[in-house]
This record gives sequence, C-alpha cells and structure tokens, in this order.
Amino acid sequence: MKVLILGATGHVGSRLVTHLNRQGYETIAASRGRLNTNIPGRITLDSLNLEALTHYLKGVDAVVNCVAGDKHSIGKGADILVQAAIVAGKPKIIHLSTMSVYGGHEGNITESHAFDPTYGWYAAAKCEAETYMQKYAAAGGQVISFRPGCVHGPGSHLWVSRPANLLRTYRLGDLGDAGDGWSNLVHVDDVVRAIHVGLKISKKAGEALFYNLAAPDSPRWNQYLFDLANGIDATPIKRISRLQLKLDSKILSPAIKIAQILCRKARRDASWLPEPLPPSLSRLFEQHIFLNAEKFSNEYDFTYMSYAQSLQESISWYNDIKY
Amino acid sequence: MIKNISEIPSDTQLEADVCIIGSGAAGLAVALSLAGRGLKIILLESGTEVFSKKTQKLYAGELADEKLHSPPDKYRHRRFGGSTAIWGGRCMPFDPIDFKQRDYIPQSGWPITHADLAPYFPVANRLLEAGEYAYDADTVFGINKPMFQGFASDILMTNNMERFSCPTNVGSRYRQRLSLADDIQVILGANCTGIRLNTTADHVDHLDVASLDGKKMAVKAKQIVVATGGIEVARLLLASNDICKTGIGNQQDLVGRYYQCHIAGNLGKLTILGPTSNVRHGYEVSAEGIYCRRRLSLTEETQQKIKAGNMVARLHFPKIVDPSHKVGVLSGLFLAKNFISYEYGKRLKDGQASLSTYLKHFSNIILDPIDTFRFLYHWLTKRTLAKRKFPSVILSNKSNQFTLEIHSEQYPNPDSRITLIDECDALGMPRVKVDWRYLPADIESVRRSLDVFVEEFRKSGVGNFEFDASKLEEDLTRFGAYGGHHIGTARMGKDPETSVVDANCKVHHVDNLYIASSAVFPTSGQANPTLTIAALSLRLADHLAQKMQAPCQSKHVVI
Ligand SMILES: Cc1cc2nc3c(=O)[nH]c(=O)nc-3n(C[C@H](O)[C@H](O)[C@H](O)COP(=O)(O)OP(=O)(O)OC[C@H]3O[C@@H](n4cnc5c(N)ncnc54)[C@H](O)[C@@H]3O)c2cc1C
Repeated sequence: MKVLILGATGHVGSRLVTHLNRQGYETIAASRGRLNTNIPGRITLDSLNLEALTHYLKGVDAVVNCVAGDKHSIGKGADILVQAAIVAGKPKIIHLSTMSVYGGHEGNITESHAFDPTYGWYAAAKCEAETYMQKYAAAGGQVISFRPGCVHGPGSHLWVSRPANLLRTYRLGDLGDAGDGWSNLVHVDDVVRAIHVGLKISKKAGEALFYNLAAPDSPRWNQYLFDLANGIDATPIKRISRLQLKLDSKILSPAIKIAQILCRKARRDASWLPEPLPPSLSRLFEQHIFLNAEKFSNEYDFTYMSYAQSLQESISWYNDIKY
Repeated sequence: MIKNISEIPSDTQLEADVCIIGSGAAGLAVALSLAGRGLKIILLESGTEVFSKKTQKLYAGELADEKLHSPPDKYRHRRFGGSTAIWGGRCMPFDPIDFKQRDYIPQSGWPITHADLAPYFPVANRLLEAGEYAYDADTVFGINKPMFQGFASDILMTNNMERFSCPTNVGSRYRQRLSLADDIQVILGANCTGIRLNTTADHVDHLDVASLDGKKMAVKAKQIVVATGGIEVARLLLASNDICKTGIGNQQDLVGRYYQCHIAGNLGKLTILGPTSNVRHGYEVSAEGIYCRRRLSLTEETQQKIKAGNMVARLHFPKIVDPSHKVGVLSGLFLAKNFISYEYGKRLKDGQASLSTYLKHFSNIILDPIDTFRFLYHWLTKRTLAKRKFPSVILSNKSNQFTLEIHSEQYPNPDSRITLIDECDALGMPRVKVDWRYLPADIESVRRSLDVFVEEFRKSGVGNFEFDASKLEEDLTRFGAYGGHHIGTARMGKDPETSVVDANCKVHHVDNLYIASSAVFPTSGQANPTLTIAALSLRLADHLAQKMQAPCQSKHVVI
C-alpha cells in the first residue's frame, strides 16, 4: 500500500512515516519544506497547490492529512485536498482533526456531539476542514477523521516541554479548580497506531467515520502537571491562583508573543524568551471536557498506552533534551 | 446541576434514588463519589454560595456553660460547602488504635477497623487537597530532617505528621463538577425540616423541605443520607418526632449524647539543648506543595500500657498574652485579636489585660521591628494573598524553648450532650442546647501521657520537658472544648442497644436512613475529624451504590 503523508515533518507526521516504513508501507513524506529534517525520501509539496497535490495523489492508495499551521492552511488546505483527491481517483483520506472541534463544550463528549466553531480560530478552521471531509464522503470518497485530545509523548512541545518549562518557572503548578478539567492526553504513538488501523479499515465508500482519541485513564490537568513536575524535578510545586494565571496569560504572555514575533522578523534568536502561556491554554485547563474515545477502542479492539507509561516516555524525552 | 429552591414550584414532590442533606465535606464526598454511576441524586443545601446571616441564624442555640463551649452558630457555617468555608485545613487520619475497643476507655471501639477505611483515605486526602496519603514524615521528608537532632525514643514518636489542605472550601472547589453532573441536582436554599417515617417507623417515606421565604416541598428518595454536621444531625433526628416520639433512632436515648470535641491547650515548657538549628519546629513543604508538620505522639503499645487516650503535641510558642516574651509578632497578634474572626481569635483572648499589658505589647513591637516586618511580609505573601495558605503563625526559634500544644481524645460521656429546647428557629425547628462536658479521666489521660514525655526527654539527653501538674486541668480547659469538632451524637456500633447507626452508617431499624458525619464516630481520637469524615463518606457512597446495584462503575468523579 502506498501512502502520502502531508505534514510529514510535524510531531505526528514524522513518527507516522517512521512507523509505516517499518511496517512495510511505501510512503511519500511531504511537507512544505520549512523544516529541515532527515526523513528519508521527503518531498517538498505545498498542500495548497492543487495541481502538485493532484499529481502526487494519483499515485497513492491513501493520504494522511497531518498538516498543521494557520487558519488558511488548515481550512483551505482541506478544501484543496478534497478537490485534488476527487480528481485523482479518490484515494482514502485519513484526516487528523482535533477535539477542539467541540469547542467550549463540557461533560462527556462522544463523536456525535455538536461542533462549536465559535471557540476560536483554531476550532473554526478545524471545523471547516471536517466539513470538507464530509463533502468528500458525500462525493463517494473514503474518509476517516481522528479527533485526538492533547497529543503528548516524546517530541511534544505543546503538552510536554511547554508545560514543563512553565512548571520550572512556577508559572504553572497546582491550579485548584482552575486545573480541574480532564487532560484527555493521548500518546503520539497511539495516534500513529490509530492511523495505521485506519489505513487497514475497509468500508463502504461514501461514509465518513469519526473517532475521538484519548487515553481513558488520562487524569485531570492538576494531576498531570504534578506528575510532570515530579518527573522533571520541578517540585515542590506551587499553588497558582486564578489571578496569577490571568495576569500571566492576559498580560505577560501577549508581551512575550510580541517579542517572539519581533525577534523572528529581525531574524534574531527568540529561544531565550520565556514560554508564553496563552489564554486558550488556561481556558483549557479548567474546561471539564471528557473526550470519550470508547468508540474507536471498542470497534477495533484498540488499547491505549497506559498513562504511567506515556508519562514516563514524555518525562524521559524532556529530561534528555534538557540536559 | 445546581439550582435554587426558588426555581422549583411550591409543593412539588421531587423523587430520587439518593437524597443527601448537606453540602459540607461529608455531603459532597458522597455526592461526588455517587456521580456517574447511573443513579439520580438530589442534594439539599440550606445555604447558598455566599454567607447569609439569616441562614446562619438557623444554627443559633443555647449553651449550658458559656465558658466550656462556643455558641452553636459559631464554629460552623450554614452555606454551600458547609464549615469547610472557614476550616483550618489540618488533615490526619484516625489511627488504627482509635477504632479498637480499649478496656480503659468505656464505650470505646468502632464496628469497623482502620483497614475498612484504608482504601478511602487516599481519595479523601486528594479530595481535601492535602496531597498524597502519606503521614510518616520519615518517609516523606527522610530522616535527615528530624524534629530534634539526636532524639531517639521507642515510645515517643516524632515521625507522625499532619498535612494541610489549602484550606479547601469543597463547595467552591467542586462546584463545576456538580453543576456539570447530569445525575445530580443540587438545590440551594433548601432546608430539610423533618425526616418523615412511614407508620411502622422502619422506612423514611419522605423529607420535608422548606425555604426561608416560605416555600415548602417534599423529597421522596430510596435512600437518605443526612450530612448536616455533628450537631445538626442530632437536631434533625430528635426534631423528627412525629412517629417516634423521642426522635428517630433514639429508642435507647442515645441521640445527642456522648458529644465529644477534643481536649486542647498550650502548656509546659520544653527546652532543647544546643543550637536552635537542632530543632525543626515549623512546616516542611512536600513535593505537591503541601505544608506538613511533625508532631509528638505515643505508640499504640505505650497508650495501652499507661491506659491513656490518644493524644498529640505540637511545638508551640510562649503564651501570647504575657508581654514578657518580648516577641513583637506575638504582641502584634495580641493587639490584632479583635480584628480576627471569632473562630480564630478565640484562643488568643486569654484572660483580662490591663492597660499596662497593652503598653508593654506596644513596646515589644517597637523594639522588635525587623522580625515584626519580616513576619508581616511573610503573612501577606504566604497567607493573605496565597491560595494555599501558610497554616499558622510560626516564629523564628530564638531560644529553643517551646510550650506544647496538646490535642487529645475525650472519653465518651453520656452526660455531654445536645438537646432540643422549646425555642424554635425561623423555620419552626426547635433550637439546640449544647451541654459539653469533660471528665476527670480526660485530664488524667493527658497527665499520664505527659509524664511519659517528661521521662523520654530526660532519657534522650537532648532536652528537658516539664509541666505544672497542679494547673493541668486549668491549662487544658481554659478555652473549653476545641471548636469545630462535633463528634459522637449518633454513635456507630454493632448493638442497637448501645448505638444509633450500624457499621454502614445506617440508622438501626430504619432501612434507608444513613448518616455521613463525625456524629457517628464513637470516639474522638487525636485527629481533627474532617479527613476521616470524608473517608467514611466515600465508603458510604460505595455501600449505597452496591446496595442499589448502581448500573455503572464510578467514572472517578471524585479524583
Ligand atoms: C474554624 C474551624 C476550623 C476547623 N479546622 C479544622 C481542621 O483544621 N481540620 C479538620 O479536620 N477539621 C476542622 N474543622 C472542622 C470541619 O470544618 C468539619 O469537620 C467539617 O466541615 C464537617 O463536615 P460536614 O460535612 O460533616 O459538616 P459541615 O461542613 O458543617 O456541613 C453541613 C452542611 O449541612 C447544611 N445543613 C445543615 N442543616 C441543614 C438542613 N436542615 N437542611 C439542609 N442543609 C443543612 C449546612 O448548610 C452545611 O452545608 C474546623 C472547623 C471550624 C469551624
């Protein structure tokens, strides 16, 4: 089976390429080419380029869409991918969506839950992308969308090194009721394995499948933050008040963000700047969303990596890059 | 879901699988644990999320002796979250010996053991935000941080420790979980005014519910959990006397009796030899950021040998009232006592102070400015502004001299009791009279323990402890009962002749009435009650789920 991977230099994409190659798949690892990597056989492909994309899609059985980026590359990118795939003979699309499509909803969330594109640009773009996937199914294509929670594990800046850096500087810690939301963590390798399962699913064309992905034993954020702090020797942790979180995300972090942009524009090193803690992050910590991912594990007998093991892998990775 | 009784039409009858009365540590532990198990739960709470004088006044009552106990509308709060809105957050479990029948303590012995609660303590600990369930300081902090350098004793332990909750108000902390739980309906402003039995008196038919603005309704539930606090449990049982004339569960005249708090006081003089660095008298911070502190306690075997109740002692500082300590901070506290809430100022108000005493305190502050400033800065940043609060005043140790702060078990005494009086509250419920008493045995038990302290310090060679035996009773009863611990008024036991509830907290002879409260503790132990209340409540929730064959396993809503 021949698979095209879009966003192949990203967190999930890069590990997916390695995994599929090891499993004997023939892969084409495509990325916009901004990142230098040593992924073998990587091609440069702008997924917003309809013609080029159509060309590559003609030769494959399936395409995995791991493209990240801004609103445009997510939303418009999905539109172009679907157009290209229709022209190219309808290869199977595995689309990496996100739990953000459920926006600010709280409680036990299954796949049938309504979308909430009003929650921010990211949610809006990801919702838009999913509507194109549905169009693809309606046009007779095969499509499987995965909606993972927070993808952590080795290589995860968002859910490992970012919180770890914030913990070390006492900008995160025990958040009390402001950290009472579920973390919905899922190890990057579980996402990779799920995509692999998705590639093997043969089903009637014209039907879109959606699956939430989150390890069912993921703890609440407070617990994860403590466990992480403990693993990276950032204890004793501090109780962080809502006021501090608010000041950090609404005043300090926007300033850091601006400084980062200025540095980048001036082609200066920005790595010395502290980690921003965006308001969307503090909002997530207190969002009581329990991403119910039973459907996928039940239908395909899929077992997630245990929380203890995924935590350990995240910690080892962080400690390795740090020292 | 959380709503106010005003949103429910008058004279409605609500139905549920489980109805919990009270949203303090006990009620919320039961509710959170039962959530997600496929049962329909109603939680009735008298108060709302803000303190209201009018609601609090429902708690007012009489005292038999003002010197011995604080008024019943003090040291508890009638609001969402209950008394955890003002508690101090000190956590420690009851010890294995507390559950045992000890022949030297009449009426001691629980129908359950420490092992029965063991699975629930860790969750209770997390629920109260006191971190990991680990109470051995040698394990948590290592033996390199001893209380006294070089102190060794086989019978006087220093590894026993207490942990501090934020202090967490369980109401505000878990509000969002409750409001999202679609199987729980929390009704604020809803007072239970009566538990109504069927005519054969073996089953609760319904609960009467009323609001302060005159709304009345009823709740019919398969199981009832009364979690209204140690005084109010007795009041509700005694006042529900339409079918059982002496009140529910009171056939043996036990409800309201055996009322225990703790015996407490600061006394004696402990002098440690060598440099001040030999003593670790303050708090250590655990990995989870929890303030922890070692205490002195006697081993189980020693307690049994000297036939003494359970007791702990913490290192304390000289008496605040007496300005001869010359510590500016203490004088500052003395002068501030009138600005501190009743509950926390009480133990600072020690006797009458003359004008000259006040002046001496002023001069202490003026002569000790650096320490006073440092203290105030610490207080502001670690307490006033902090979410996890530094638990208490800890001064720098300048002299290696301490008094001991004693917290000791009270012997169960049937004459120490809560009764109803004729006067009624705004809802027509008879008010309570608190007649708290202590026994000579309570004092003698402390005396025997302290004698061991004296001997062990002498043998250790690290210091010296002495206390004025002739003033022991005075020192231990100066402020009366230790506030906020309301124990024993609906005691648990196997035998319906000598107890009110059984080992599952079910009122004997009533098949669906349960009590979640320190009211069911037959004895008081050395520990502050809340952690054990929460553990017992979690156990009760499991029992109810099993009894009702709850369709789902718990979705760990509690942790
Ligand atoms: C100043 C202070 C300091 C303390 N410090 C500590 C400490 O350091 N460590 C410790 O372990 N404990 C401490 N305590 C004790 C602790 O607060 C209690 O043990 C704990 O709150 C008891 O929980 P509960 O749920 O049994 O009762 P409560 O917290 O009193 O809750 C009872 C609830 O029932 C409601 N209610 C009452 N009657 C009715 C009715 N008729 N209808 C409907 N609702 C009703 C009330 O509004 C309240 O919400 C302290 C207490 C005080 C006051």
